[in-house]
Amino acid sequence: MTHDRAPRRFQVEALTRVEGEGGLVVEVRDGELADVRLRIFEPPRFFEGFLRGRSYTEPPDITARICGICPVAYQMSACQAIEAACGVEVDDGIRTLRHLLYCGEWIESHVLHIHLLHAPDFLGYPSGIAMAADHRAEVERGLALKKIGNRIVEVVGGRAVHPVSVRVGGFYNVPTATAMRDLAIDLRDALAMAVDVARWVAAFPTPDHRLPDDMPLVALRHPTEYPMLGERLVSTTGLDIGVDEFPDHFIEEQVEHSTALHGTTSAGDRYLVGPLARFALNADHLAPRAATLAAELGLDAAERNPFRSILVRAIETVHACEVALGIAEAYTPPERSAVPVASRAAAGSGWSEAPRGLLWHRYELAADGRIAAARIVPPTSQNQPAIEHDLAHLIGHSLHLDDDDLEAVCEQAVRNYDPCISCATHFLDLRVIRS
Amino acid sequence: MTGPPTVTVVSIGNPYRSDDGVGAVVLARLREEFAGDDRVRFADLDGEPVRVVQTWEGSSIVWVVDATSSGQPPGTIHEVALAQLEDRLDVGVEGGHAMGLGEAVELARALDRLPDDLRVLGIEGASFEEGDGLSAPVAGAAVVAADHLAETICRSLDQDVPEGRSGSGRPIAG
Repeated sequence: MTHDRAPRRFQVEALTRVEGEGGLVVEVRDGELADVRLRIFEPPRFFEGFLRGRSYTEPPDITARICGICPVAYQMSACQAIEAACGVEVDDGIRTLRHLLYCGEWIESHVLHIHLLHAPDFLGYPSGIAMAADHRAEVERGLALKKIGNRIVEVVGGRAVHPVSVRVGGFYNVPTATAMRDLAIDLRDALAMAVDVARWVAAFPTPDHRLPDDMPLVALRHPTEYPMLGERLVSTTGLDIGVDEFPDHFIEEQVEHSTALHGTTSAGDRYLVGPLARFALNADHLAPRAATLAAELGLDAAERNPFRSILVRAIETVHACEVALGIAEAYTPPERSAVPVASRAAAGSGWSEAPRGLLWHRYELAADGRIAAARIVPPTSQNQPAIEHDLAHLIGHSLHLDDDDLEAVCEQAVRNYDPCISCATHFLDLRVIRS
Repeated sequence: MTGPPTVTVVSIGNPYRSDDGVGAVVLARLREEFAGDDRVRFADLDGEPVRVVQTWEGSSIVWVVDATSSGQPPGTIHEVALAQLEDRLDVGVEGGHAMGLGEAVELARALDRLPDDLRVLGIEGASFEEGDGLSAPVAGAAVVAADHLAETICRSLDQDVPEGRSGSGRPIAG
């Protein structure tokens, strides 16, 4: 046990079960929290520079390589941005297939995070692999559910990893009716499994914590859908903007302790994107089974405990299964797999809700169809200041804990946000310094 | 496991990070060689462990082809069996992936999903910087590795080994 006011310094070198390489430094002086810094030291990846000079048709394939967990998000935001620049709108059938593809990615990403990355924190295991020894049936169920998510991406995207069917304007190929009927059979099983996962997660012991009251939540909004492909950006502070207005309201800035940019509002305020924000702003658009289950499990739009984000992910997984099943059951192949997209000298923006939150892209195209400039704002960059602020809030109330327990709380809290550092800079060690 | 052997060959890596994409290049050559043979399947993966484990389900023989960074000269080819794998992961056979083969092996072991025979063919990279295309020594090693794997897979399938591969005879490090 440590004494609050005794000068001391300790450090924890490895915070695991996050995507990418980074660290967390916590400084405590005279028993008071002095600083929290989410350090990201994975080398910057220069994808935006890498895109310059490439053809306007290439961003869906190139940006998909930014992240192995959420390639679809990058493809969807990229396609929408380029289509906007070229003045093209895709057919409804193509948009529906994009929605289905996105459902597959949400299922894959959320189920992986719930079972192998975050559940071990709640159940007291050092890893998902260690947890599997005692909770084999639950892990097996999670793997089976994730596999159906993979299957969606494979059927719609051409392969389960880094889909190859996506193109600007639509798809190179669309699924056959037979493939979609088979997928619907799998999705009925997936929906039942997702409901069981949500009930399992809802029973986890959850630390009592609440986001700081001054933390704006930001997410996309669609007139009728829970947003994967949203139309407007809304916030708990009343913001309601279109895609081209994003840079007028949100900025990124370099900070010394991170190779990833830090996102803030143009007024310099931190904000939060991701499942908790999406749910707070869009719970009224959940699919019926997901909405009923959320209510039954005591989750409503006023939820502000980030440790309940694992339950939000579980509910979003139910939603994704439900939506995917509906699309698969109603599917008839679209008349054309893609709409023609002719390049022009113009700029366009696109956005979508990656599993971890809002992902915004903007491209400037030259007259010859080459990309003159590219800008990508991933969710983890936007969330870094919010994560630091929430950790400061949490740690400030947890300084009575000894170093080991404080470390465990910090690690679990970071994983509430499922940070994808690979996306943001593209690992995380933790140092706590008490003096 | 009963029945004819089923071989799964998995590449792990990112073709937009230079030599990290060597596994996919090796698999592209092998796909041509074994086109139409449903006893052999191929998958290009990013190292996410659940995908790796689910990809090799049902296969008795699994090869994982990945770029390595162990300090050996670029283009050095390492062949490592499962029994030696855990020790070797510490010397860079894991490649550049935050969650990788080590986690996949441990997850498979916890769930009794390890194949009968799991081997890693690692190819020492020169550059893992952003960009597509392989460095010259790694591009050459990819040809040798593909030929070595094709021969080995043919033998495991009791199939004649085609003659005339360019890389035959080049040493493979253990």
